[in-house]
Amino acid sequence: MQLSKETPAVLPVLELPRLAMLRDERFLVGAHIITAFAALSIGALMGPFQAFHRAPAFVEAFPDATIPVFSYYYQALTAHGTLNALFFTFIFISGFSYFMVGRSLRRKLWSLPLAWAGFGAMLVGLLMMLFVLVTEPQRSSVLYTFYPPLIAPPTFYLGLVLLVLGCWITAANVIVTANLWRKEHPGERLPLAVFAAVANHWMFIVSSIGVAVEVVFLLLPASLGIIDRTDPQLSRVLFWFFGHPLVYYWLVPAYISIYTVLPQQAGGKLFSDPLARVAFLMLMILALPTGVHHLFADPGVSEVNKAIHTFFTLLVSIPSFMTAFNIGATLERAGRARGGKGLFGWMFTQKWTDPSVAAQLVALILFISGGISGIINASAQLNITVHNTSWVPGHFHQTVGGIVALTYIGIAYWLIPMIRGRALFSKKMALAQVYTWGLGMMLFGHTMAEAGLAGVPRRSLTGISPFLDEASKYWLNGAAISGVILLISVTLLFTNLVLTLAGSPKPLADVPEIQTKGDPRSPMLLERWGLWVGILAVLTLVAWAPVFAEAISATQGFQILRFLPTGVPMP
Amino acid sequence: MHIDRYERAWLTAVGIALGAFAAAMAAGFILFGIRLPSPVARINPNTFAGTPYANPGIKSLGGGRYEVFMTAKMWSFDAGRDSGPVGVPPRVKIPRGSEVTFYVTSLDVDHGFYIEGHAINLEVIPGQVARATVTFMQAGEFNIICNQYCGVGHQVMYGSVVVQ
Repeated sequence: MQLSKETPAVLPVLELPRLAMLRDERFLVGAHIITAFAALSIGALMGPFQAFHRAPAFVEAFPDATIPVFSYYYQALTAHGTLNALFFTFIFISGFSYFMVGRSLRRKLWSLPLAWAGFGAMLVGLLMMLFVLVTEPQRSSVLYTFYPPLIAPPTFYLGLVLLVLGCWITAANVIVTANLWRKEHPGERLPLAVFAAVANHWMFIVSSIGVAVEVVFLLLPASLGIIDRTDPQLSRVLFWFFGHPLVYYWLVPAYISIYTVLPQQAGGKLFSDPLARVAFLMLMILALPTGVHHLFADPGVSEVNKAIHTFFTLLVSIPSFMTAFNIGATLERAGRARGGKGLFGWMFTQKWTDPSVAAQLVALILFISGGISGIINASAQLNITVHNTSWVPGHFHQTVGGIVALTYIGIAYWLIPMIRGRALFSKKMALAQVYTWGLGMMLFGHTMAEAGLAGVPRRSLTGISPFLDEASKYWLNGAAISGVILLISVTLLFTNLVLTLAGSPKPLADVPEIQTKGDPRSPMLLERWGLWVGILAVLTLVAWAPVFAEAISATQGFQILRFLPTGVPMP
Repeated sequence: MHIDRYERAWLTAVGIALGAFAAAMAAGFILFGIRLPSPVARINPNTFAGTPYANPGIKSLGGGRYEVFMTAKMWSFDAGRDSGPVGVPPRVKIPRGSEVTFYVTSLDVDHGFYIEGHAINLEVIPGQVARATVTFMQAGEFNIICNQYCGVGHQVMYGSVVVQ
C-alpha cells in the first residue's frame, strides 16, 4: 500500500478516560469477554468431573455418579475441549485485541459494524456447538480435534466455521486498524501490544487455512452426506498445520499482558521492548513449520519431514526463553525497587496479594514445567514414550490451562470490573482462586505426567479400564484430588465474576494504564510486515509442501464409517 | 539493537542447550537406531482382503526375529487365533530376547498402539500401515493399549504381549 505523504491535519485521536470506557468500547469488549467467560464456565466445570471419572477409586466409591449437564464422559470431554480451548480462548482473544488496539492506538477501529458481525458469528457458533453437544451426545463426541472417520453432525462443523470466521474478521480489523495508524503516524513504532497482536493475527490467518480446508472440503461435506469418503491421514496433516500455531495464538495474548501490562502492575518497567518484538516475530514466523511434531507417531509422514519440523520446533522455543529472561529481569528490577535484597529476595517482594499480578506470576511459574515438558514432547524419540499418554494433557494443563487461561483470568480481574464500572466483588476470593488454580494445575500436571509414564492413555474413561496397574491407579486417583482443588477454584472464579457483574458495592479504584507508545529504539526493520509475513509464507511452504505431497499421494478415498454403528449400547 | 550482556549470556546458554538437544536426537537416531514410524504401505479398504495385513497373526522369520500382523477395530485388537479366541483381548506370545516388528492396520477409525514399558507408540490410521520394531528383553506380560480415542468403548480396548 502507498503511504500518503501528507499527514492529516487533525488525527482521529480518541480521548479515553483511564477508569471508564466509551460506550462502543464497553459494549464490544464487554460482549466478547463476558461471552468468553460464559463458555469457560461450562467447559471448565466439566474438567474436575472428568478427573473424577478417570480415577478408579472414585468409580469404585460412587459407581452411579454422573457428570452434570454432559452426562456421557466423551460428550463432557468434547465440551471441555471445544468450549475451553476453542470458544473461550478465541472469543476472549478477539475482545482483548479490540480493547488493547483501541486503547494503545487511541483510535477507532477500522470497522465497528464488522467487529459486531464477527462477534455475532462467534456467538451463533457457540450456541450451535452447545446445541449439538446437548442434543446429539454420541455423534458429536468427536473431541476438539475431530479426527475423521469419526464424523459429527453438520451443526458441529458449522459452529466451528462461524467461530473461525469471527476470528478472521477480528484479524482483518486489527491489522487494517494498525495499518491506518501507521499511515497517520509515519516514523513511529507500533505500541508493543499492537505489534504483538498484528503478528498473532497474521499467524492465525495463515495457519487457519489448514483447518478451514479440512472442515469445508473434507468433513462438512462428509457430514452432510455429499461425499461418502474421507482421508484420515490427510485430515490429520491439515489439522496440525493449524494445531500448533493455535497454541501460540492462545499464548501471544497472554504474553501481551505479561509484557505490556504486568511490568507496570508489578511496579516496574519492561526490561527490553525491542527484544520483546523480536520474540513476537519469531513466534509468528516459526509457529507454522513445527506442526509435524504432533504427528511423530503417524505412519503417513516420513522421518525426513519429522526431522525438519523438529529442528524448527527447537527454534520456536527460543522466544519463550527470551521471554523468561526479559520478564524475569523486569520482575527482578520491580522486586528490588520494592525492597527485595539478595539473590532471591526480589521474588518475595512481588505483589503476591494483588489478584491480577498473582494470577500472572503463578501462570509464569506453571509455564516453567509446562514449557520444559513441551521440549520433551518435541524431542522426536522421547515423544514415543509420552505420545497419546496422559503426560500430554498433564503438559497442556500447565500451558493452555496455566500460562494462557490463568493470565486471561488475571486480565479479567481488572477488565471485567472496568467493563462493569464497579470494583471486583472480592479480592480475597480472587486470590484464593488464583492460588487454588496454581496448586491444582501443578498437581494435575504432575499426576497426569506420572500416570502417562506408567502407560495411562489420554482421552479415555480410565476409571473403568480393565488393564491398569497399581502405579497407574495411584496417579489417576491423585489427579482426582487435583480435580477437587480445581473445582473449588472454578467455583470461586465464577461466583466472583457473576457478583462483580451484578455490581460490587465498591467503586472502581484502579486499572492498569495501557501504553500508547512504542520504544523509539526498536529498529524500524521489525515493522516491515510485508517482509515478515513473506518469510512466514516461504518457511511454511518449504516445511509443509513435502508433507502435503506425501499425504495427498497417500489419499485412498477411505470409506466413511459413521461414528457409532447402530445398536452399540452406551456404557 | 542493544542486547544486555546478561541476556547475551542467557541466549548463548539457551543456544548451547538446544544444540545439545539436537545432537542427542541425532545420536539417538544414528548411534542407537531409534526410529520413528514412516510410510510403509497404503491400503485401500476395498481391496484390503488380498493384502498380507488382512490376516492377523505371528510370523517367525528365524534367528529370534518375528513379524506380528494385527488389526484394530472398535474396540478390540486382533492378533490371530494363536493369541486367543475372537472377542477376548489378544495375548501375543513371544520368546524373550526376540526382535519383533509389528504391522498394525485399522478397519474403521483412528486407533492407538502402545506397549507398556517399551518404545513403541503408533497412530493406527485407516488407509495406512503402521509399523514399528521393538526388542523384548524382559520376561513378563505387557499391556498393548489403544491410546487414540476411538468411540464409546475406547477405554476397554487392549491386549498384551506375553514375553516368555
